[in-house]
Amino acid sequence: MEQSYNERRQVTFHGEGAKLFGIYIVNILLTFFTLGLYYPWAKAAMLKYLYEETEFEQSRFTFHGTGREMFVGFIKAIGIILAIYCVLFLAILSNKPAVILIGMLIFYGALLLLIPVAIHGSLRYRMSRSSWRGIHFGYRGDLKEFVRVFVIGSLITIFTLGIYSFWLIIEIRKYIFKHLRFGNLTFSYEGDGGTFFVLHLKGYFLLVITLGIYSFWYVRDLFNYYIDNIRMYQDDKKLTFRSNATAGGYFKLIVGNILIILFTLGLGTPWAIVRTLNFVFSNIVIEGALDVNAIRQTEESYKDATGEDLADMIDIGLV
Amino acid sequence: MQHFSISYYDGTVSLSNDATLTLMPDHWLIHYVDESGELQAVKWKLENITTDQNLTTLFIFRYGDFPQQTIECKEEALPRALKEKYPSKIFFERKLTHIFKQNNTILIGLVLFLLALLGAAYLYILPFVAEKIASNIPESVEKRLGDAIYDGMIAGYTVDDSLTRSVNDFAKSINFKTAYPITVTVVKENEVNAFALPGGHVVVFDQILLKMKSKEELAALLGHEVAHVHYQHSLKSMFRGLAGYLFVSLLLNDINGIAAVMADNSNMLVNLTYSRELETEADRKAMKVIQSNGISLKGFVDLFQLLKNSAGNAGQYEILSSHPLTEERITYAKAMSREQTGIRDQSQLQRKWIDIGINSGK
Repeated sequence: MEQSYNERRQVTFHGEGAKLFGIYIVNILLTFFTLGLYYPWAKAAMLKYLYEETEFEQSRFTFHGTGREMFVGFIKAIGIILAIYCVLFLAILSNKPAVILIGMLIFYGALLLLIPVAIHGSLRYRMSRSSWRGIHFGYRGDLKEFVRVFVIGSLITIFTLGIYSFWLIIEIRKYIFKHLRFGNLTFSYEGDGGTFFVLHLKGYFLLVITLGIYSFWYVRDLFNYYIDNIRMYQDDKKLTFRSNATAGGYFKLIVGNILIILFTLGLGTPWAIVRTLNFVFSNIVIEGALDVNAIRQTEESYKDATGEDLADMIDIGLV
Repeated sequence: MQHFSISYYDGTVSLSNDATLTLMPDHWLIHYVDESGELQAVKWKLENITTDQNLTTLFIFRYGDFPQQTIECKEEALPRALKEKYPSKIFFERKLTHIFKQNNTILIGLVLFLLALLGAAYLYILPFVAEKIASNIPESVEKRLGDAIYDGMIAGYTVDDSLTRSVNDFAKSINFKTAYPITVTVVKENEVNAFALPGGHVVVFDQILLKMKSKEELAALLGHEVAHVHYQHSLKSMFRGLAGYLFVSLLLNDINGIAAVMADNSNMLVNLTYSRELETEADRKAMKVIQSNGISLKGFVDLFQLLKNSAGNAGQYEILSSHPLTEERITYAKAMSREQTGIRDQSQLQRKWIDIGINSGK
């Protein structure tokens, strides 16, 4: 197993803007004519295509979710968001300071709770619906525990005037990766809040000094910090993720995407998506010994994931 | 008998098996050599086979309950073979979403159609819907909304109490022909501006009052702002903005943006700008009302002239930003005032105008 330490693998993306555009344009029209109700199906078709064009070790990924499943989450999500805004709106209409204050508290309280619930739901749904060679991904975080971590962290963030947010983000990543599964593979995230904070501090100051030009180095640093700290474990073997992204690459990606989207009035979005995914996957290398033929199925059937409260609340809008 | 080369995954481990698929009358046979070198045969009953929505050139089939067995096939001949072999079972549904596989003409047609649709929706459907919503909002809700906005924004201004009193007094002797209770507030602000809120609040900046030379100008200004109130222009603009944003963000797959615009609403209400049609509508209604009060329409000509000059001086007065081109308004007002008949004596209004003059310290 000597040569295993030199093993490197990459996920490759084969999607084409033109093909994605075909799906995209039909989606837009159907979404329009159904007054938005087609949206979940549109989204499912996009995800299916993008997964199917993503390859690892000569095998493609699969997204198993369906429009019908996502529709349930979609309706719930819209209902909940509307309800929360209704509370705020009615409170403001009452025109009494005390009622407005209570309304605002309920509003922000509900939002604070909703974010972790949505992250949890979407991770659980998306992971359970993703597979490679028939082996499913999974997310096994505990909702109550995650909400507690998130809410306590958010309160500390508020009391420290936002400084704690860098530690919170790392804590959330650690929690998520710790509970991520791919068959019998497990993950961890090794970043730490202090380093992450210094990274942001440096980025912020250089951004100001260089009048924003530093932003490409800044996003590269953040991306690299995210990727470089991911670990994957197969039995007792450890694998490391490494990013090759450069500031120049980011510059080309971001400026190109902005131009594409602007000059096509948004119709060029599929090309921007393809460029982004190409950039992301081509810059991530997985290093270490991995037996790609020995990943065992460990997930339970997720047939009832449909009933998962708010399953894909935040999933909506993410591609 | 036809054979297809496939990849077979048994659903328990990620091992990729090179296999062959044989299509039998009521089942599929999958043969592969396992790790120990033994030939394995797997039977898939036809009725339990499911197909993934096919978006690429890779054909994927699954079998049984979780964890499902999977086969992947890249052979292009497979769909036709399936059709011939099993005419009664549909493996690949012809979905509407597959139009893109047809040809480029259809695609380009769809794009043009979409663009036309977007334009039409934005120009015609949105204003219509916004108007419908706005006119269906109960008056009491509209008033409370207006009061809430008013209370929120008036705190940022210094109210001139004596001018407020005398301008309200002035406004009361004009019949604006609206069911809304009109209350005017004069604030001290170094800007030539005035605006109306839903439900009846009109805010006038004292600078515009100081620049006016006649009671007719003030009557014209009030008439214009009251017309905005009467036709619910601010509500309509609000719904129009909201609907427009909803529309665009839905199309651009951005649900989160909706939350952002809702949170941003208060801000939007304060910075209300009306479209040109709404401004023209307000001008016409105002002229009608002022005329039926027997007040000279020359006030409009002077008011627009005043606005034009103010804009010329600084070039940044908001009141002009979306108003119809002032030249056109002046021309229109002049024409209307030439045709005007039935101007009555306005000595009562004149007295009140003098009061305003005294209070403003002119």
